[in-house]
Amino acid sequence: MKPSYLSYLARFNKARHQLSQDLLLTLGLSLLAFSCSAANDAGEGAIERGAYLMKIGDCVACHTSVGGRELTGGLPFETPFGAVYSTNITPDKDTGIGQYSYDDFFDAMHHGVGINGNLYPAMPYTSYSLLTNEDTKAIYAYLMSTKPIKQANLDNDVSFPFNVRFGLKAWNLVAHDAEVFAPKQDKSESWNRGNYLVNALGHCAECHTPRDSLFAMEQDKHFQGAVIEGLEASDITPAELNRQNWTHDDLKSLFTEGYSRKGTVFGGMYPVVYHSFSHLTDTDMFAVSSYLLDTDEKIEAKALTFNGHQRELPGYKLYMGYCAGCHGQKGEGRPNVAPAMAGNATLGKASPHNIVAVMLKGIKSQHYNTTTSFYAMPAYADKLSDEQLRDLANYLRVTWSTQPGDLDMNTINDLKEVIFEHG
Amino acid sequence: MSQSIELTINNQAVGPIEVGDGVMMIEFLHEYLNLTGTKFGCGAGVCHACTVIVDDNLGVSEVVRTCINGVERFNGKHIRTVEGHAKQNAQGEITALSPVQQAFLEHFSFQCGWCTSGFVNESTALLERLERKPIAKDQVEHVIEEALSEHVCRCTGYVKYYAAMKDLILKTEGLTLS
Ligand code: FES
Ligand code: FES
Repeated sequence: MKPSYLSYLARFNKARHQLSQDLLLTLGLSLLAFSCSAANDAGEGAIERGAYLMKIGDCVACHTSVGGRELTGGLPFETPFGAVYSTNITPDKDTGIGQYSYDDFFDAMHHGVGINGNLYPAMPYTSYSLLTNEDTKAIYAYLMSTKPIKQANLDNDVSFPFNVRFGLKAWNLVAHDAEVFAPKQDKSESWNRGNYLVNALGHCAECHTPRDSLFAMEQDKHFQGAVIEGLEASDITPAELNRQNWTHDDLKSLFTEGYSRKGTVFGGMYPVVYHSFSHLTDTDMFAVSSYLLDTDEKIEAKALTFNGHQRELPGYKLYMGYCAGCHGQKGEGRPNVAPAMAGNATLGKASPHNIVAVMLKGIKSQHYNTTTSFYAMPAYADKLSDEQLRDLANYLRVTWSTQPGDLDMNTINDLKEVIFEHG
Repeated sequence: MSQSIELTINNQAVGPIEVGDGVMMIEFLHEYLNLTGTKFGCGAGVCHACTVIVDDNLGVSEVVRTCINGVERFNGKHIRTVEGHAKQNAQGEITALSPVQQAFLEHFSFQCGWCTSGFVNESTALLERLERKPIAKDQVEHVIEEALSEHVCRCTGYVKYYAAMKDLILKTEGLTLS
């Protein structure tokens, strides 16, 4: 039997410890024995650089199944065409990428063409195509230095005509524009580095840019936000981030610790922060925020919005009864339990999508390190009526944001449909 | 700012009482009603020690943590706390423990007792759920684990709580399908 979450934590830590030991062992061995030409081409320290780049590219999060060995794949991705599974990218010759030459690897990363044919675009090669040759080499060098693990790939569950991989050639022709990364002269060095990290490695656009009917990113709506698996990947354009008064420090604490003055990350963004962004060096972190905020200048943190309670509104009692215990009577939040409502970027968005989604489905607990974690937010789908949901969402908006409290039952019903579309 | 709260606790009408805004339910139980059987552990919704049962009038119950839920959530509702489970005579003396309480006692499930009010309420709610919807015998362990796994106990190592519940469920007629 499973004796509570404390022992789960103990097991989790043990697994993590084991993992880092494995990694050390692998790294140690490979540093001794590694003699791949790509590593030599990629220059001194390519493996270490590759390891860092791979973290920022967040390869582990997708190429590891729940409870599985790192990089052995098997994580399912729901696409509009059916489920596809990530693959084994350890250097195992039969089941992994051990047979890949550097050129093969380059083709996979940049053009979505593996040695067995086209890759499904769940692999963000549309973003990785912006990687420099040098960085691609470093990532290759690192991957080839990891321990080969034999684990067969799972068959994809994709419906016709998308199960015919040949069709992807056509998709690539229409939807994938392999560009190379070109720095912008009128922008700072930091901004340009940020552009590269965010768009090539971070592949942020894959979730934060809406897609058209062909499932290709709509480039003219770059970073304007999109709904993915029932949650809205936020609008992260500089205009919106600046409107919401994100500062460099706010983004830094969000990306390195998962929480900030502006709230926490949740849904698919939690593993991204945990596995990937929390490893950004300070310089790269600043580059990312320079790019996202479109400035290197310091931004003043304005006072957080709290318009005062309005006891006569129906949402007031709901807030006090259901939310105040964790989020605070004045919305001040509680460290390591729940984020503040005051200043919360989810409340400050024009779209109430995530407010309603989070109330309905809750948020799983998050552990970043031994001193930083957030406890789970309960799901209220079977506890609050639709009218209560509306009243509460409106109350949150009028009390802690500049958005109007104008949500009606139609909005709630429409949102519920989208939010529960994927179960 | 205060408000008027009226509810039923362990079958007794309580209130109307004037209660300050944003008072957590556990504080209401302890400070306004002197019902101190519900224990306060983490105060952050993690340990589940402070769990009580809320019954609606359709016979459906939910378990709710009182440290993170304000008294407003319970207004007008029917609540059961650990004080309400044992049988009492007209003088208010306890004549018999509830089956869950008895099972925990027999299995030495608790030591300091801090977590016990939460375990008793969650387990009672589980038992009632199984009365309405019995399960296959091989599901018993799984269902107990699902119901109790978030309750933290710093003393006994859980096994005795889980074993007590397994025993009780298997020997009580009508909870499992034969
Ligand atoms: S005291 Fe309420 S959950 Fe711990
Ligand atoms: S008996 Fe002491 S905490 Fe459970």
